[in-house]
Amino acid sequence: MLRLPRLAAFAACLIALACFGAAPAAAQTPPASDSITPLQDVLQQVQPQVANPSRATVPQVLGALLAADAPGTVAFLRAWADREVYERPADGLFFFARDTANRNLMLVDIDTGAELAEVTSREVNQIRPNAGVRREIGAALVSFELLNPDPARRLAALENIARSPDSEQIEPLQAAFAIEEDNRISERMERLLDLLNARFATDTATRVDAIDGLSGDISTEARRILNQILQTRAEFAPEIPEGTNVARVRTPGVDMDLAAAYATLADAGLAPPHLGRNAIRDALRNNVVDGTVGGVPVHLLDNDERRREAYEALEAAGMVAPLVTEEDMRAAVAEYVFFDAYLEPDPAVTTAARASLDSTRTAISLWQFLSISLDAVSLASIFFLAAIGLAITFGVMRVINMAHGEFIMMGAYTGYVVQTVIPNYTTSLVVALPLAFAVTFAAGVAMERLVIRHLYTRPLETLLATFGISIALQQLAKNIFGTQARPLTAPDWLAGAIQVNDLVSVASIRVAIFAMALGFLVLLLFILNRTRLGLEVRAVTQNPGMAASMGINPDRINMLTFGLGSGIAGVAGVAIGLVAQVTSEMGANYIVQSFMTVVVGGVGSVFGTLAGATLIGALQKGIEWFNPTNTLAAQTYMVLFIILFIQFRPKGIVALKGRAAGD
Amino acid sequence: MSMDIPRQSLAPTKPPRRGFLRDNPSVLWFMGLLGLFTLGVTVLSEGMGIGMVSTNLVKILGMTLCLCLIAIAMDVVWGYCGILSLGHFAFFGLGGYAIGMWLMYARTEIVIRDSLGRGTIPPTPAEISEGVAAQIFGVVGSSELPLIWTFAGSLPFQLSMVVLVPGLLALVFGWLAFRSRVTGVYLSILTQAMTLALALYLFQNDTGLRGNNGLSGLQNIPGALDVPQSVLSVWFFWASALALGLGYMLFAWVVSGKFGSVIRAIRDNEARVRFLGYNVEGYKLFVFTITAIISGIAGALYYPQAGIINPAEIAPIASIYLAVWVAIGGRGRLYGAVIGAASVSLLSSWLTGGGAPNIDLGLYRIVWTDWWLVLLGLGFVAVTLFFPKGIGGLFDYLVRKS
Repeated sequence: MLRLPRLAAFAACLIALACFGAAPAAAQTPPASDSITPLQDVLQQVQPQVANPSRATVPQVLGALLAADAPGTVAFLRAWADREVYERPADGLFFFARDTANRNLMLVDIDTGAELAEVTSREVNQIRPNAGVRREIGAALVSFELLNPDPARRLAALENIARSPDSEQIEPLQAAFAIEEDNRISERMERLLDLLNARFATDTATRVDAIDGLSGDISTEARRILNQILQTRAEFAPEIPEGTNVARVRTPGVDMDLAAAYATLADAGLAPPHLGRNAIRDALRNNVVDGTVGGVPVHLLDNDERRREAYEALEAAGMVAPLVTEEDMRAAVAEYVFFDAYLEPDPAVTTAARASLDSTRTAISLWQFLSISLDAVSLASIFFLAAIGLAITFGVMRVINMAHGEFIMMGAYTGYVVQTVIPNYTTSLVVALPLAFAVTFAAGVAMERLVIRHLYTRPLETLLATFGISIALQQLAKNIFGTQARPLTAPDWLAGAIQVNDLVSVASIRVAIFAMALGFLVLLLFILNRTRLGLEVRAVTQNPGMAASMGINPDRINMLTFGLGSGIAGVAGVAIGLVAQVTSEMGANYIVQSFMTVVVGGVGSVFGTLAGATLIGALQKGIEWFNPTNTLAAQTYMVLFIILFIQFRPKGIVALKGRAAGD
Repeated sequence: MSMDIPRQSLAPTKPPRRGFLRDNPSVLWFMGLLGLFTLGVTVLSEGMGIGMVSTNLVKILGMTLCLCLIAIAMDVVWGYCGILSLGHFAFFGLGGYAIGMWLMYARTEIVIRDSLGRGTIPPTPAEISEGVAAQIFGVVGSSELPLIWTFAGSLPFQLSMVVLVPGLLALVFGWLAFRSRVTGVYLSILTQAMTLALALYLFQNDTGLRGNNGLSGLQNIPGALDVPQSVLSVWFFWASALALGLGYMLFAWVVSGKFGSVIRAIRDNEARVRFLGYNVEGYKLFVFTITAIISGIAGALYYPQAGIINPAEIAPIASIYLAVWVAIGGRGRLYGAVIGAASVSLLSSWLTGGGAPNIDLGLYRIVWTDWWLVLLGLGFVAVTLFFPKGIGGLFDYLVRKS
């Protein structure tokens, strides 16, 4: 499915864009040899035509410029079209200009780019070509660029066309396509030609050809153009007029609301308006005579039946417009045909566009599915990161730590503080990760020593005591850092996105978080299963008494395990802070979900936590897919699903068996 | 021979039953104090007495009584039965929503009827209902009355909802949870998940309860719109005191006697009770449901005094605070829950409401609104660690000394 050439082309475009940005600057360096005429001199040859451009004179200027081929021509043309060129009436010279601090203009030499003099805006004339001239210049620019020997420049020019398509571009593009030798570029040109022809070509055969060429194309630009061709307008007429390109005929009452159909007729003045309840009431109010309307006393008019009765009496007396009944509406509507007509009059074109659009449907839904799956994976890795620390403290040690979320928050704030001290984002991130681990490790050990140690026999009370710590820590963070969200900025190399095509793109930061989650999974599995510490941890959690008699110090192990879980929460906090905002409440947002992740996955198993996070992430994104506007609903249904899930698998997805299960 | 041994001596000696009140002297004490308190507040109130207690304070006290009521419900379910439910505030909120719907609908209906009635033509029922819907739901961009509001105009219906909605939810949820033997901390997390789901549900604009705007204007009671708030506040204070008194009696009766022994036994060793042939799930379900119902009633009395209810009130944190009150007051004794709820919530509103003077230490100024939660959190940790019996435990010393 993946079209590698296009991917490569896209990458090349990116590079080309980067080069292009530098190009004008390079062009502005003074000419190396005397044989090249400076641009200013060329312009002076056609001074009046440049200063007062009109459609008729533009070709003269372009001819002169093409003949001289002075460096900086393209930059000048662009500036000229964008009204960034100034003329000094005193000597007729042309300049670029930039604004200065005191609202004056700093004149810039067209050839050298040197700053010449600061002038007020009255001393120079801004040259303002009108729209027609600008289009001419634009077309000239297109061929200028499309024929450029530098392939990167040509690609950049193609991207420009794609961004602002125009019928004027077809001709130069066709000319360029005929002589293009680079395979990649000519492929791109062909597609662009299809896009332009599909929209702007004048004869049916070319358009249909172009549209057929777009079938199977899932890019947004292609689909946008096809959808544009397929735009419809709701119309009605006694009979469908000759030559109308009908999209579909609507039957009132079946696939169109009867009242709505009638309302369009009434709006067009072809039928008396249907009176709503309010209109009837107003008519009655206007016809009150001696406390009665049409013989009905006013105080009895508090229901629709009586009102109708009164209205009919008025109608019989000819005092009000006749009431339109549903029968009347049906009869009126039956006189007309209601249909949707394509704005595009040519049926061949619309049929081709429809076929072309339909051909991409399967591919698009597959890509969308992939996109949602990637979202789900990304969400799952965040859940996993948030819950992995709990997988140790709760999963392995069975300690309910309600302050776990606050450890995440502490990690995030550590990252924030480090960033305020070290301005380089990459360095600060490298420093923040271990520091966050150290800070939360210390906090975790302190908490274990001071509080949790005394409550190992009373798990429910651990829950409450750690909750007390949680609200105290939250409020402390609020007192120190304030209530507003603090930024934790990702370094530039993590700021972009990996774009597969128009439908699928992944933010780099999410890829990094996924990698980090994966790293933690491996690290944790390694520690628990392959190290002495892991062995002792498992021994202590299964049977502390027996472990102690084997020479293991349970106090020390508990302390280290809890510190490890908390430390991982801190590192996760830095990662989460990069994608979410750092507030004193950020931990609280994750705590319930984290517990659910661990419980759904299966307490005591790291793989279980992974499974839980995957399930919850996939579920939430899956539900969001059905109702994308409402993430709250997705969360609600997800929680409900989890509650039900626990009914059927109380021990979670990965249920431990035997003695390791611990109950 | 073994036959000579009288069978009687093998059985535990049963204490002679002396009557409910004599077995539970705390009930009489509590009723007496509650009565005195109610009388005192009434006499001192602005609306009915000499005006030393402001209307606002009467409302706060009335609300505190409601919180005491849900606290004793929490105490029964947690302190006596061992189910640490982190969902009882959700039931409280549901009760509030049920009564809030009627309060809001009926009052809006009066307003709409009034404004439409000023026209020449009297309004039809459909016009009134549309007007009410537009008025209530305009804020969430809708003008249609959601299905759940169909009977919102009927007080008896909404009153029955106060009992039925929390009761049924607790019954279904409890049945599911207890049936699959979810216990201990897992049950706590599960109830918390339920609370979270409910809060998230209510936060949505399109679920028909005005999203995060919640229901407002609940302090105006339709049918008593002419009664000044100062008098209304005393009425609600009385109602809250009555509910607390009745609730206390009910729960004292439930936890005494054989039923109480069984649920305490479930708390201490569930498996053993099950082996003895008791239907543990049935007992737990009963306790869970009846406490949920009482919580709903407490909520229905609380929110007309608070005047506004929104989904944030139901958020999981509220239910945890409830557990905090009960733990600080002392679990396993009803008056402990009352003491905890009353002292912590009153202290909280005093300190966060700006009533307490800030302390200037020269280098640092202690602002109570900033430090109250830190204090509460750490105090709570200290209570859990050092005084597991809570404040109520102090009474044991008194009783032993006498």
